Amino acid sequence: MSLFALEGVHVLDFAWVGVGPITTKYFADNGADVIRIESAARPDVLRIGPPWKDAMPGINRSQFFASFNTSKKSITLDLGKPKARDLARRLVPWADIVVESFTPKAMRMWGLDYENLRELRPDLIMLSTCMQGQTGPNALYPGFGQLMAALSGFYYISGYGPGSCTPPYGAYTDFIAPRFSAFTLLAALDYRRRTGKGQYLDMAQYEAAMQNLAPALIDYHATGRVLGPRGNASDRYAPHGAYRCADEDGNERWIAIAVADDEQWRAMLTALGAKSADPHFVNASARIENAEALDQFVGSLTRARTTQELTAKLQAAGVAAYPVENCVDIHQDDNLDAFGFWHWLEHKEMGPSPYEGLEHRMSRTPGTLRAAAPILGQDNDEIFRGMLKLSPEEIEQLKKENVIF
Amino acid sequence: MPSELLKGFRLLDLTDEKGALCGKMFADLGAEVIKVEPPGGCSTRRIPPYLDDQSDPDHCLYSLAYHAGKKSVTANLGTADGRALVADLAAQSDFLVESYALGYLDSIALGYDTLAKKNPRLIYASITPFGDTGPGKDYNWADIITWAAGGMMYLMGEEGKPPLQMSLPQAGFHAGAEASVAMMLAHYPRQLDGLGQRIVVNMQACIVWTLMNEQAMPFLHGNHLSRTGVFVGSADARRKMVYECKDGHISILVAGGTMFGSSTKALIDWMNESGFGSDWMHTKDWVSWVPGVFMKMTAQDYKEIDDLETTIQRFLLTMTKREIYAHGLKRRIFLAPVATAADIAADEQLKARDFWTQVPHDTLGRTLTFPGPYAKLSATPIGSITRAPRIGEHNDEIYRGLLGLAPDRIAKLRAAGAI
Repeated sequence: MSLFALEGVHVLDFAWVGVGPITTKYFADNGADVIRIESAARPDVLRIGPPWKDAMPGINRSQFFASFNTSKKSITLDLGKPKARDLARRLVPWADIVVESFTPKAMRMWGLDYENLRELRPDLIMLSTCMQGQTGPNALYPGFGQLMAALSGFYYISGYGPGSCTPPYGAYTDFIAPRFSAFTLLAALDYRRRTGKGQYLDMAQYEAAMQNLAPALIDYHATGRVLGPRGNASDRYAPHGAYRCADEDGNERWIAIAVADDEQWRAMLTALGAKSADPHFVNASARIENAEALDQFVGSLTRARTTQELTAKLQAAGVAAYPVENCVDIHQDDNLDAFGFWHWLEHKEMGPSPYEGLEHRMSRTPGTLRAAAPILGQDNDEIFRGMLKLSPEEIEQLKKENVIF
Repeated sequence: MPSELLKGFRLLDLTDEKGALCGKMFADLGAEVIKVEPPGGCSTRRIPPYLDDQSDPDHCLYSLAYHAGKKSVTANLGTADGRALVADLAAQSDFLVESYALGYLDSIALGYDTLAKKNPRLIYASITPFGDTGPGKDYNWADIITWAAGGMMYLMGEEGKPPLQMSLPQAGFHAGAEASVAMMLAHYPRQLDGLGQRIVVNMQACIVWTLMNEQAMPFLHGNHLSRTGVFVGSADARRKMVYECKDGHISILVAGGTMFGSSTKALIDWMNESGFGSDWMHTKDWVSWVPGVFMKMTAQDYKEIDDLETTIQRFLLTMTKREIYAHGLKRRIFLAPVATAADIAADEQLKARDFWTQVPHDTLGRTLTFPGPYAKLSATPIGSITRAPRIGEHNDEIYRGLLGLAPDRIAKLRAAGAI
C-alpha cells in the first residue's frame, strides 16, 4: 500500500483564494494529482498577497498562496479565450473531481459549468464553492472570508462586551468551509465507486460557516436570545481568560487559564503559593458571578511569573493553562515540534520556506506535503505536451496568442 | 432524510466537545452514528447555555445542535461489561472517533491495537489537544487553551486589554471536522484493501491553520502582528476593518489595486452622491493605488487613508446595517454587516435557498429551527435530521438489535450499572 491515501485520484482545480484551494490541498498532500488552472490574466489574488520572500512582492513570492497550494501542479490558461476553454475541456475526462470557486456566473459564461462538463465525463463530481451559494438573490455577492466572518456571525461574538467588536484575524470562515467540502467530496468519491453516480455540490461558505454557530442560531430562533460579545467570560469555568505574565525581552506575555471546579481552584492556589479567603471566590458559582474581581486577583498572581513557569506549575496541579502564543512562539513550540508540524520546503523562487504541515497523522497512509507550491504555469509543458499531446510548435503558438498565459 | 452518501456505514462516537461535530457531519451524510456515553450522559450534555435557561440535558443547546442525527447508548467504561459492549460495537463499526485523555482507552483494552485485531477494517481517530508525543500530550484542556496555543487568541482584542476568545468557543469544531476529513481520507484506501488505520488529530495545529497568512511573517517580513482591535494589517498597510453604523457595526475592505479598486471607487461614488467625501477621493485612481504592496506608504498616503477612514465612519453612522448591506450588494462593494443571530435569521438569501431546517423535538413539545445543510448535493441531498437522542435512548435498539442481547441480559447489565 502506498503511503498516500488518494494515489490515482485526479482533481482539476479552477479554484482560487481560500476555500477551493484549501479543499484540493487535502487531496494533493494525500497523493491525488491536482492540476491548478491559473492565468496571468487574472492571477489568484493570493499570489500577490503578503508575506513575500524578503518582503518583496512578486507573483511567485507569496507564502500566502504557497501555504494553500502544496503538492499541486500549475498550468496557465486564459479562460477568457475560446481556445483556452477548449483545452480545459480536454482535461475534464481525466478528472474525477472538478473544483471551482468563482462567483457563480463565471463558469456558466465560459460553458464550464456542471451541466456542460458532465457531458465530457458523465460520472464527474464537481464542487462549486462561493460566498453565498449558486442560487438566491445574493448569489453574486463578491467577497472574502473576512467579510463572510462578519456576515455569518463570528465578528459579533468577538469583543469585550456590548458595543465592542474586535474580530478574529484574517478570513476566519475560509478555515471552516474546506473541511466540510473535502469530507463531502471524499464521501462522494466513494459513493460513485459504489453506484457509478457522480454529482454536483453547491457549497456556500456562508452556510458551511454557520455549522460552527449552531447552538446560538437555534437559541435565537426558539427564544429570541442573541449571543453577543462577552470578553473571555464563561458560564463553566472561573477563572477563565488570558492573564498578564512577566514581560520577556521587552514584550508583554499572557497565559490562558481555565479552572473547571473547586478542586482545581484550590490546586491552582496551592501551585501558585497563594491563599484566598475572599467570600466572592468561595465556590464556582460565586467565582463566575464575580469574574471581574477574580480576573484581577488571578492577574496579580501571574503578573510577576513567566508563562513557562506558570504553565508547568498549573498543568502539574491539574489546571488547564497554556501561553498565549504569537507567530514566533508557534514556530518554537515543543508540542508542534514533537508532532512534526512545520515543514521547510524548497520553493523554486522563494527557496526554503515555512509551511504548515497536516493537522492530523495517519498511521498507514500518512501523506505529506510532497512539494512546495508551484510557480505560475510551471507544469505547462508536462500537461500540454505529455497529457494533451500538443507539439512544441503548437504550445509555442498558443503562448504567443496568450491562450497559454 | 439525511443524505444517502454514507448510508450503510457506522460510526462510533466516543467524543466530548473536542469532537462532537465529527459525528454530526457523518450523520448528515447518512451514516449511522452511535454516541456512546456514560450513564448519566457525557459532559457535552451539560454545556451552557440552555434553552429557556432550563439547565437539564434535554435543554442543552450544544447537545441539541451537535448530537442531532445520532443515536445514544450508555456504557459504563468503569465496568468490564460496559467495556465489552463497546468492544462488541467497535467490532461492527466502520469508524470510531474518541477524545478521551491520551492512553485511557488503551488502558481499558479499547485502544486501536486491541480493537483492530478483531476488526482490521476499523478506522480509529483520536482527537488530542497537543498530539500524542510532545511534552503537552497529557495536559489539561479547555477550549480557550487551544485558542491560545494555536495563536489566534494573541491576534484578537485591543492593545492594553487581554487577548480574546469568541463567546462561542471554536477549537472543538475545527478538530471534529478535521477528524471527519481524516477518516474519509483513510476510507478511500480501505475500500481497495480492506484495512483501516489509526488517526491522531492535533487540535493546536487545527487552530494554527486558521492564522491564514500570518505564520510566515516573522521569517519573511521580520515582524508579526499583535492585537489590533478593529484594524488589520501590519504598520505599512494598516486598514480599519470595522466601522460603526446606526445600529451596530459594518466591516469593509478598503483598498486599491485591480481587485479592490473598483469596490473602493463604488463606495466613494456612493458617498459623493450622499454629500460625503472630498475632491481628492473622487479624482484618485484607486485601481493603481496599492501602497504597502507594490509601493512604500508615503506621508501623503497615511494622511489620505486617515481622511478616507474618518469620512467613511461619518457616512456609515447615518444608516443602519440593513441599509448599508443593501447598497453594498447593489453597488458591489466589499462590505458586510457584523451580523447578529437576529440579522442572520432574517436574511433573504438564506430564506431563498431554503436553508433553515425544522427539527421536531417531541422531548420538548416543540419544533426547533436549525441551520440547514452546509452544501446542496445534487444526487444525495442532505435533508432533515432527527433530534438529538436522550441519554441512552437507543440502548434497547442497539444492544438488542445490533448486538443481539436478550432483554433479560440488558436488564441485568442495567441493574449492574454497566448501562
